[in-house]
Parts: sequence; structure tokens; C-alpha cells
Amino acid sequence: MKKRFLAAILVVAMTCGIFAGCGGSGDSGNAKDGGGNQADTGNEGTEGSEGGEDAPAAGGDVTLRFLDVSPSPERQAYFEGVFADFKNETGITVNYESVPWDDAADKITVLGSSNQLPDILTVHEFWLGQLTSAGWINPLDDYVAENLASVQTTATKILMENEKNLYGHIYRIPDGLMTKGVFYRKDWVEEINYEIPTGDDWTWDAYLDLIAALTDPEQNRYGNSFRGARGAFDPIQGMYLMGYTGGYTYDEEGNFLMDTEECAAALQKWCDVYLKGYAPKDSLNWGFAEMVDNFAGGLTGTLLNDSEVTATLMSKMDESQWGVLPVPISGVDKKQYNSTGASYAYSVASSSEHPEEATQLIDFLISAKNNIEYCKMGGLIPIRTDVGDDPTYGPSGPYAVFLEELSQDNLVFPTTYGAFDYTDLHQGMLHTELQKCLLGQITAQDVLTNIGAELTTRMKAYLEANEGATVAAPLSLQ
Amino acid sequence: MKKRYVPWLFLLPVLVVLLAMFGYPLLKSIVMSFQNYKLTAPDDIFFNGVENFKKLFANQETSMILRNSLAYVVISVIGQLLLGMILALALKKPFRGRGVYQSIVFLPWAFSGFVVGLIFRWSFNGEYGVVNDLLLKLGLIEEKIAWLGTPGLSLAVIIIAMIWIGIPFFAIMILAALQSIPADVYEAAEVDGCGVMRQFFQITLPYIKPTLVTTTLLRTIWIFNSFDLIVVVSGGGPANTSQTLTSYMYSAAFGSYDLGFAAAIGVMLMIVLGVYALLFLKITRYDKAGDF
Repeated sequence: MKKRFLAAILVVAMTCGIFAGCGGSGDSGNAKDGGGNQADTGNEGTEGSEGGEDAPAAGGDVTLRFLDVSPSPERQAYFEGVFADFKNETGITVNYESVPWDDAADKITVLGSSNQLPDILTVHEFWLGQLTSAGWINPLDDYVAENLASVQTTATKILMENEKNLYGHIYRIPDGLMTKGVFYRKDWVEEINYEIPTGDDWTWDAYLDLIAALTDPEQNRYGNSFRGARGAFDPIQGMYLMGYTGGYTYDEEGNFLMDTEECAAALQKWCDVYLKGYAPKDSLNWGFAEMVDNFAGGLTGTLLNDSEVTATLMSKMDESQWGVLPVPISGVDKKQYNSTGASYAYSVASSSEHPEEATQLIDFLISAKNNIEYCKMGGLIPIRTDVGDDPTYGPSGPYAVFLEELSQDNLVFPTTYGAFDYTDLHQGMLHTELQKCLLGQITAQDVLTNIGAELTTRMKAYLEANEGATVAAPLSLQ
Repeated sequence: MKKRYVPWLFLLPVLVVLLAMFGYPLLKSIVMSFQNYKLTAPDDIFFNGVENFKKLFANQETSMILRNSLAYVVISVIGQLLLGMILALALKKPFRGRGVYQSIVFLPWAFSGFVVGLIFRWSFNGEYGVVNDLLLKLGLIEEKIAWLGTPGLSLAVIIIAMIWIGIPFFAIMILAALQSIPADVYEAAEVDGCGVMRQFFQITLPYIKPTLVTTTLLRTIWIFNSFDLIVVVSGGGPANTSQTLTSYMYSAAFGSYDLGFAAAIGVMLMIVLGVYALLFLKITRYDKAGDF
């Protein structure tokens, strides 16, 4: 009896296992079916799927597969809408596939190694090394030269040139860009008749002066949404002090370059925004949310942040109340150091049997109309300059300053903390050292010395552990 | 099957669950405390001896964090105990509307730490907070106080929130104990001419001592282990001045993803709380509590 019972349990367990196994293969089977293999797609059609109506068996139409690595209902609806338009225009069917971001790298690795990558995939720059060395994606240099060269922003050009320098070719077309700017209270500025300097006069010192001018304790107005919590050191290292080091964070040997008297004096000015009362005392603990909320709520007059904040401000404030200024330029070398990047980018799989159609789809996705719609959805900046007809991205639209910034010749993408793991520093030391200075416990020079010592140690260890590795250089058209 | 195995058979499901849910994580965390275990470098996990413990003790802020932990636990527990006791004594005798009043004062216990954290964070907001507004209107302060941006004050706000949330638990437990004291004991004491204070110290306290000991022990451990209020109210800032050992462990684990270091803090916590529990039970002579 016992043996029979045990056998029955085992049978049930094995059966469940088999069904579970079948489920898994079904998924990969679908992936394979759509893997650019027209015959397989045709078979999929014979199984009664919707896609079957457009399968090659119906008349030799092309069907492409598109992989989104950051899915959301909003994105899926957008892509499916665009793909429907694409089909109307070209007759090419595009099937939308997605994988959650957390699993995306693994999924792409599995699909790539089994030659089943979708025709077009959204790719993060972190994966480029693997994808290019494995030969899983196609170079797009010719497409860029023929179709994009005349309309791309400077930022897009810099990103692509950088990719070419690192990997030999341009492999990705950015989906949109994110960059920083200074949001400010236009109505306050008008109220005090303050003339904001422009051009080469719009330096970091001019920005600090504006902050001081907008502060009015009697009206409970502070000049700046100061960031004291996590991320507080990022604009200091990534933009403010970059002019003193030409965009470098380390010298060739890995020594931190900002531990100097000049930088310390500049940092002291930055800290004075808090110490002189141009920012609320509570801002010592402010992160992104508090900075934005207090600007939108009418407590602070300026906010240095990403272009994505625009969408929030548009929904919370009247357009007469606020405006955007470019990131100030360095008073030292007159360059604008501004951290900019693409969220994701489109690539064509080398296993695609329809690379031309895949490139055609990318061209459709980044056409002015679609790129605008996509960027509005995520608060991004279009990658091209011919979007001026749309009021949102036009010369008087809320993103105009960002577009202008990304087309400036003096734009420089500064270097980061380094290619090593600094998560713990970002979580602790980088902002707590600054907080200690704001609390009067240490000096600005101490902040740079302490942070610099730790960063130098890590960068040197990284260089030693990675033979042939070098410190990063800033990116610019020059 | 031999009879002596039968109880074990019944206990087996619970034991399996306990081992899987508590035993394994406990052992794993002890092992991890001796490892370089960072989520950001999953291919570089190795045993590093006592490096994580060295890092903990070499950290200049550890002593401040330990002092914060002590202040946070001691002040919170004493505050909750005293106010909970007063509340329980006030609610002991029946009065009109006692049920409604009781429901209202026990409400904080029903709130999640996260919600309480948000309430206090906004109440003590330096610019918009109701506390500053009241103090200004009452003329008690002349300038707004940056409660959460000032070292010391941010921890004080967290302690106030912790006391507020924990009073009902003490009150409920003590009230239950008070109601179990036979009324004739007090009647006899009154006949013997015993005053209110003497009744409290010689009848009430000894009767409720087991409850007080258990509740204090439990709350101490819970408060020591709690970090939600700290994370929500101040995030441990400014400059780590409101960080306790537990919130520091949380930051190490889920901020820096340094699970090895976080596990080392966890092991330290376990040792500290284990020693505390043993000493507390010994000092309070828990085994003899309630004997008359």
C-alpha cells in the first residue's frame, strides 16, 4: 500500500515536472519560431496565432521581432501603435516582445548564444562590450552617415563617436537623451528685476549669485533646492569642479585630481549656499523628491536637475512661474560639463534575416514624429534637431534649453567616479562627508581630501587589477 | 512505530518550517559575516576571515552609532513603559465612554511604522511642519527649527515617534495584568489602612511584574531591531547622526549591497541582544516573579 502511494506521488510529481518543462520549451519555442526564420513564423501562423495572418505563407511578407528590455503597459501600447503605423506604411509586421529589465541581460545572452536574438533589440550601453565582441549586433555606421548625420544633436554625435572609438563601429541608435539644466522661478526673477547673465557670462559663480538674489527670508523664499542627502556630491564632481580638471577625475596613475586648494575654495562657495541660508536647513537631508517637491511647492527658486523633471513641473506649476536655464559653464575653461546619456538604444541583431527592414524600422522609430512621442512619454530629449515644429520641443517649448544645450560645441561629457564599484560610497561617504562640512565638523578641503583618498585607492586598485585599463577621458567634439 | 517517536512526528512539519525559515537564514548570515559578499560583485565572493568585523570596529562612526542605539532603545522603552503604565492605570476603573476612549488611544499600535514615520517626518518638517508652526504661534521659539537637519534633534524626533507608537502595547499588556489582580486584595489592604502608594508598590507592582518583565524584554528587542522609522523619518542623517546599529545594517545591506558587512552587523546585534536577554532575565529574577 505504502509503495503504491509513494509511486502515485512520484507519478504526479513527474507529470507536473513534464508539464512545467513543456511550458518552458513553449516559451523558447516561440522565441525560436519568431527568430527571423520565416518558415518557423509561418508554422506559428498555422497554429492559429494572430501573427499568422501576416506570415510569409500569406504572401511573402516580412515579419520582424522587436525586444523591449524595459517594458511597461505605456511603452507596450506606444510600440504596438507605432508598429501598426509601420505596417500600414511598409507592409512589414513587427511583433512586440518584452523581458523584464532584471532578466534582460541573461535573456539576451541566452538568445544570442543560441542565435535566436530578435531582429531589433533595445540595448543598454553596459551590454555593448559583450554584444559586440560576440558579434551579435550589426554595425550601423552606414545608416548613420546616410540618414542621421545631418539631423543629430551634438550630444548624439558625441555618444556615437565614443561608441566608435570604444568598439570600432556605431552599433546603437539612441532612443532619447537625458541631460541636466537649471530650473528657476521666472516670476521671482521678474519680481526682483534680476538680469540673468547669458552666454559665456552664465558661469557657476553667476548661478550662485542668482541663488543668493532669489533668497528672501521674509517671504519664506530660498534660492536653491539644495541636495544634502544621497547624490549630493554628484553635481560637484560631475559638473561643478570639472572645469578645474578639464573634465578628468583622475590623472593617468589614478590619483584624484580635485583635491586642490582651488577646488576646495570652489566647494566652499557651493557649501555657502547652505551655510549662508540660501537653502532651507532641512535640505541637509534632501534627496531628489524633496528637491523637486519644494521647488514645485514654491519654497525654493532654483533646481539643478535632469530634464525628466520638466514633465512633473508642467503638471504642478503654471508655465508663467518657471523656466529652464542651461547648466552653467565653467569660469575656468568656458566649457559646459553636463552629464548626458541615452536611456536605451536600438540595435539590429546580426542573426536577423531582414537587416534592411530592421534598419528601416529603427529609422521609423526615430523619425521626428515618433521620437517626439516616445520622448514625451519618458521625459527624454529627442536625439535629432529637426523636431522644432512640435511645440513641446520647439524654440519656445519647455525642452528648448535642453535641446540647445545638446547642440552646443562647448559641450563636454565629463568623467565619472570610475569603472569600479562605488555603490557603498554613493550610499555613504560621498554625501556624509559633505554633510559634515555643512555641519561645520570638517572643512571643504577635508571633504575633498577624504573622498579623494578613498577614490584614489579604489582607482589604483582597479588599474592594477585590470591590465591595460586606463582612466576615462572626457568626451567632446574636440 | 515506537511511541517515543510519535511526538517528533507531529512536531516534524513545524521543525522543518522553522529550520527552513529561521535555521538556514541564521546559519547563512553567520557564514556570510565571514565572507566578502557584495551583490554588486557576485563573481567575487570569498571568505575573508574577520575583515567585516574589523571594518565595523575600525569605523570611526561605530561608537556614535552604538551610543545612538543605546539612547534610542533606553529612552524609547522607558518612555513607553511609563506612559503606558499611566494610561493603563487611567483606564483601569470603568467610566462613561471608556470603550471609545480606549479604542482611540490604542490606535497608534494599529499604524504601520512607515505611516507613522511619514506623519512625523511631515509634522517635524522644518518649513511646513505643524510642530514648528505651533511652537512659533505659542511663542516658544522665534525661528523655525530644522528638526531633521540638526544632529541630535533628528534622533529625538525618531524617539518621540517610537514612544508614541509603542505606548498602546504597554498599556494593553499592563491593563490586562491589572484587571487580573483580585479586588479583594485591595479591599483587604484598605481595611489594613494601606495608602494608595503603598498599594501600588506592594500589591500592584508585584502582581504585574511578570507582565512588565516580559513586555519590557520584548519591546527592547523589537525596538533594537526596528529601523523602519529611522529610514523613513531621517534616513539615518544628517551625517549618520541618527543611525542605529540596525538601520546601519539596513543601509549596508540594501544601500551598499555589502551583504557580508551587513551580516557581520547582524551577528553583532544577535550577540548583544542575546547577552541582554540573559542579563535582563537574571537581574529581574523572572523565574521568581509573581510568587507570593
